[in-house]
Amino acid sequence: MKPGHSTETDVLEHALQTARHILPDQGPIGVFIHHNTLHSFQHLRFHDAVQEAASLTGARPYLDLHEFRAAFHAGRIEEADLAAAIRSHLGESGDEAILATLSRFQLWHHLMLEETAMTNTVELDWQFRSASPAERKLIQAAHKRADDLPAAPYEKPHYNRHAEVLRVLNAADSDVVVHDELIRWCAAFLDQGQALTPMPGRDLGFLQAVARMYAKGAGSPRGCPGVAEDFQSIARNHTPPHTVIRECLHDLGIEEQQLTSFISATAAALNGWAGMFARLEHHEAENHAHTPATLAEFMAVRLVLERRALGHICSQARLPLQWPALLAQVPDMSVCQRSGNALILYKIAQGAGLDAAGLEAIDETQLNTLWQAVATCTPLKRRELWMDAYESWYYRQILNGIAALRPKRLIPDTQQRPAAQYMFCMDEREESIRRAVEEHGPDYQTFGLAGFFGVAIDYQGLYDHKPAAYCPVVVTPAHEVHETPLYTHRDWHELRNSLRNVWRYARRRTHFESRTLSGGAGLSLLLGPVYAVMAAIRILLPRGSVTTHERVTERVSPKPATRLLAVRDTNSTIRTERGKLLGFTLEEATERVTNVLRSIGLVENFAPIVIALGHGSTSLNNPHESAHDCGACGGRRGGANARLFAGLANEPEVRIALRSKGITIPADTWFIGGLHDTADDNISYSDLADLPHALVDAFEQADHVLDLSRRMSAAERCRRFHNASLPITPDAGLHHVETRARQLAQPRPEYGHCTNAVAVVGRRSLTRGLHLDRRAFLISYDPTIDPEHQLLERILAAAGPVGAGISLEYYFSAVDNERYGCGTKLPHNVIGLLGIMNGHKSDLRTGLPLQMVELHEPMRLLIIAESTPEALLGIAGRQAEVRELVVNRWVQLACVDPDTGAMYMFTDKGFVPYVPDKLDIPLFDNSAARHGLHRQHLTPALVAAALRRSAPHAEQTVHSMEHRPRYA
Amino acid sequence: MPDILQWGLILSIAAPLTCSLIIGLSILVRREWLSENAIYKLCNTGLLLAFSGSLIVLFSHGFNNTAIEVDAGHWISIGDYEIPALLYVDSLALAFSLLGSALTLLVARFSQTYLHKEAGFARFFLLLGVFATGTQLIAFAGALDLFFAGWEAIGICSALFIGYFYEREEPVRSAIRAFTTYRICDAGFLVAIVSIHELLGSTSISGLMAAENLGGVTVTLIAVMLMIAAFGKSAQLPFSSWLPRAMEGPTPSSALFYGSVSIHVGLFLLLRISPILEAAPVAQALGIVVGLSTAFYAAAIARTHTDAKGALAHATLAQTGLILAEISLGFTTFALIHLVCHALLRVWQYLRAPNTMADAHEFGHEPHHAPSLLAKIFPLTSNWLYAQALHRFRLDDRMDSAVAPFLWLAESLARWDEQLRRSLSRRQDNNS
Repeated sequence: MKPGHSTETDVLEHALQTARHILPDQGPIGVFIHHNTLHSFQHLRFHDAVQEAASLTGARPYLDLHEFRAAFHAGRIEEADLAAAIRSHLGESGDEAILATLSRFQLWHHLMLEETAMTNTVELDWQFRSASPAERKLIQAAHKRADDLPAAPYEKPHYNRHAEVLRVLNAADSDVVVHDELIRWCAAFLDQGQALTPMPGRDLGFLQAVARMYAKGAGSPRGCPGVAEDFQSIARNHTPPHTVIRECLHDLGIEEQQLTSFISATAAALNGWAGMFARLEHHEAENHAHTPATLAEFMAVRLVLERRALGHICSQARLPLQWPALLAQVPDMSVCQRSGNALILYKIAQGAGLDAAGLEAIDETQLNTLWQAVATCTPLKRRELWMDAYESWYYRQILNGIAALRPKRLIPDTQQRPAAQYMFCMDEREESIRRAVEEHGPDYQTFGLAGFFGVAIDYQGLYDHKPAAYCPVVVTPAHEVHETPLYTHRDWHELRNSLRNVWRYARRRTHFESRTLSGGAGLSLLLGPVYAVMAAIRILLPRGSVTTHERVTERVSPKPATRLLAVRDTNSTIRTERGKLLGFTLEEATERVTNVLRSIGLVENFAPIVIALGHGSTSLNNPHESAHDCGACGGRRGGANARLFAGLANEPEVRIALRSKGITIPADTWFIGGLHDTADDNISYSDLADLPHALVDAFEQADHVLDLSRRMSAAERCRRFHNASLPITPDAGLHHVETRARQLAQPRPEYGHCTNAVAVVGRRSLTRGLHLDRRAFLISYDPTIDPEHQLLERILAAAGPVGAGISLEYYFSAVDNERYGCGTKLPHNVIGLLGIMNGHKSDLRTGLPLQMVELHEPMRLLIIAESTPEALLGIAGRQAEVRELVVNRWVQLACVDPDTGAMYMFTDKGFVPYVPDKLDIPLFDNSAARHGLHRQHLTPALVAAALRRSAPHAEQTVHSMEHRPRYA
Repeated sequence: MPDILQWGLILSIAAPLTCSLIIGLSILVRREWLSENAIYKLCNTGLLLAFSGSLIVLFSHGFNNTAIEVDAGHWISIGDYEIPALLYVDSLALAFSLLGSALTLLVARFSQTYLHKEAGFARFFLLLGVFATGTQLIAFAGALDLFFAGWEAIGICSALFIGYFYEREEPVRSAIRAFTTYRICDAGFLVAIVSIHELLGSTSISGLMAAENLGGVTVTLIAVMLMIAAFGKSAQLPFSSWLPRAMEGPTPSSALFYGSVSIHVGLFLLLRISPILEAAPVAQALGIVVGLSTAFYAAAIARTHTDAKGALAHATLAQTGLILAEISLGFTTFALIHLVCHALLRVWQYLRAPNTMADAHEFGHEPHHAPSLLAKIFPLTSNWLYAQALHRFRLDDRMDSAVAPFLWLAESLARWDEQLRRSLSRRQDNNS
């Protein structure tokens, strides 16, 4: 190779680009935003994408065959689903006869259910020994016929890089040596401020910074002799990364045609770190250390290390270093394939009802036909069909549930004014609390919407260092909103803030100094016993200690009362330091409030109290805490958005302007913002000081209902926690989740989006009274006020990608928790304030931990829209991202006709009608009766309490307790 | 009839092991026989009894500074040679026993929640019981033989906790490294025990005072042997490289072992044998040199490490180096106070290590750029020091290189043996 040639640069650049696509695209973990793990494959169809990613990275694309089969035998997949999946794949050809007694459909069906992907002889031997004489004959016949068969039906493993071949040849693993060195460099280079001493020379870029450290005397590691000299020469000559990569590739014997696969596989060998370099290269704002990170430099450092490590291992094992020569050393594995073929043949003969004579009588052509048919039914294809069947079973339950509810549904009475209305995030975690609210009677209505409440802002809370975006990641806010103390509280705020800063400084110093030599000694003697007492209290009394601490803080140093700087003068164009507009004008505010209210269909019959609740999650010792926060608020807590929305909706001028848009909010209606903590089910309200006196009673009633509901919802969550008792009362449930959220030792403060499966966009009457087991995103949308489908279009464009991102991240992390997820939390170790690794050194782990996905059923999100196929097709035609998700089947789409209730499923052939096959779904008095005694997933059921047409006589289901509104 | 003090000793030593045995037997009978709750309760009962045992001993012994020796019969007796099961109670023993049993109890409570639904739940608590018995044995051992039994129990638990996630490669590799280091260093312990038996007739702690009557060279050699054992267990130079790798286990086991109890066990041994140390100034000098170099070595590394647990491990190691130096200088009481306070500080820091992100957010996420004292004095070497510290002075590699000739020898012998066997069997074939 001649270095420097421009087409070579292009080839290399293309290879790096390809590598970038298979690397995880997750930013630093402080702000965790759910996204499609295979986002860069989204232009492909779902099944093609997962399979291609699997072949590139070795990750699992679907659950394993044995898991699907177990689901089948447990009734989680029914025969009808399986048959439908096979038939829809085979089409007409399913009826072709492969053997006299075996159609193609039967062959596939049989292979789906029988384990055949077996390459060792042990299983066959065992079957032979335990078989009856007739079966033994059959096995012998299968063995005999296997000689006539061509090669194995399924493809052989292929190798992309040296380390893979060395592993097959039982030589030392070069990755151990390389990663040991490389991980430390990566972590030191990307560190966001965890180490006391940062790496020197980081602004030179990764390659030169590392090279410089070797030049300053880092020395070669034992497994890569000579690498220090290589880097010294790179430092001396300021060799650019591309040249370094090309030299290494040349030395390793990688030609142009293997270049892409080699680079991709090599980058993916340490995919978390490589992915972080690639991510920060394109998202500089996420890198607080401002170190220039590029994937090319990462690859250059990696390859310099790898070249020496491979050279060392190959020379010791007397193997060639050049790739083609090394590849030729791989032994032929085809020997054991013959018995594998025999096994397949034996299983098929069993399925076809053939005996030994029958099997031997099959002529050569028939055998070949059979073999070709088997070859098309690869294990991967079978898993794909199983996956379709697995999903279709669940989709049927949901659609049947909605259809069964239809005759009984509760359509809100527009003549009667509700007592309270509650707006929640669309989040499926809010489904249980909404259902609990509704069980208090028809006077209580709930709505769901994306949790940023239509106000995309950069928000700076009272104690935040700088503003952050509180909106979906695809939106860039134009406005900034600040929280400021009330004028009368200013002095207190300043005093408190300075005390707070002293305290923070002391804690920070303690944190860092305790890790130094002198500081460690001094602080041991000073603080050791204090820390031990603290540890004992926090571990033995998690709930009590935190609650007491909070109460004492509240008493001694209460947070000053604040307001949001939400509204600005129409003519004002004052911009903040970051060039944004501070607050909304009347016009902008009106537009946002109108959009939200119209979008959820709340345009008339307002209750006296409308509560808007954002959500967030508080937990301890949890690097993934942000993953439990609100995805629609950019991985942050949605309290500020809800507060802002309520504030804008209460503005008298906004209300006047709303009237001109046809939305009349009565003077005696008041909006209240708040925050629902999904970990401990605490609800706190904002700006209650402004509550009009006349509405105090109404608010207390609304708050009372919400308080009871959060307890019921907490109890419902508890059924999933194996260390909570079953059944559990609402009060005990709340106590349990409060304790759980405050335990330092708790790896599962909450289950997050685990088990999410479906998103319903439509009027609440479509689902009110249906127990959806906290599995459904619920987005309120009223098709009757949206003749042009503009509202629906906006909802799908915003909520579709968010929901798909969450659902797909859970899908991949659940399907392959080691590769796409980050494995069990227990050995996790926070590194560089960037992410986590296992133990003392490992790849940077991306995706979700096992504890977050262990209950998840990996399926694609089913979006059910209350609309017509034509409307949805029209929207898909206009919204490119929605189209991509739907047409490529990253989400499934169904619709329910608003007028007739007819259902349609989107398939490869477009929308086809769905006819509900089971309408007698169970009816329970209340939710607790449905889930109270179960820990497993539940199918939809009707809940009578939420469907009542008149208010209940007295408090029934719920336990009385001291009742006191909680304040923010 | 044992008196109340003896009951206390028996409880604190035997109770955790008994409960672990029950857990172990139940697993042997049927894997899922005992529920998580039952296992925790069993283990917790053992640990609570051990803690109450320590308290009973404390109160029946009183807070006076006298030492009591309790003869619990013979442990092993072959002919007229016997190893007595001697227990020994003094303030040092009590301090360590209380520290160990209280922290184990706390960590057990933490782990009940942390390891919920984990496949190795029973294994974890079984080992925790064995470890608790090991600490109590060490604390109350009246003779070095018994001390060694406890020492080994802690060693094996430590290795098994490091390799807790045995389905992955790295933990297993790290566990083997720790275990090998322990074995090499334990050889020193064994040599010392045998020599003391030979020279003093008994290894009882109370009899170690007689060591000053031995020749200077003999006592120095014995002291050095014991120090090697202590260096291994407390990860002093040159045996420090296993410690960062020990962070592979679940967080609570790291807290208990490498933050608080196990890492200090070697230092406790040196406190126990301080009469021997005092009689051997050369060994004391060695202790000072090793202690201080470990302290500087670890402090330099702790500054550069970017991961929460790795930095903590080295911060801990730096303090143990200091404590070693204090012991070697003869400040045993101060060393004991330093040791206990340090253990208490670190256990909390380890248990909170996963909270690093939230802490950083609270502190304000500003990188802390305070140059070390050394960097201020020698700015020119700071780059070199950084590079060396980041790679832990290549101690792993140096140890591997030191071991390599032995490995090579073993491999060559194995190859030679194989060839010999083959040629012999060929000759046999030819003959028959």
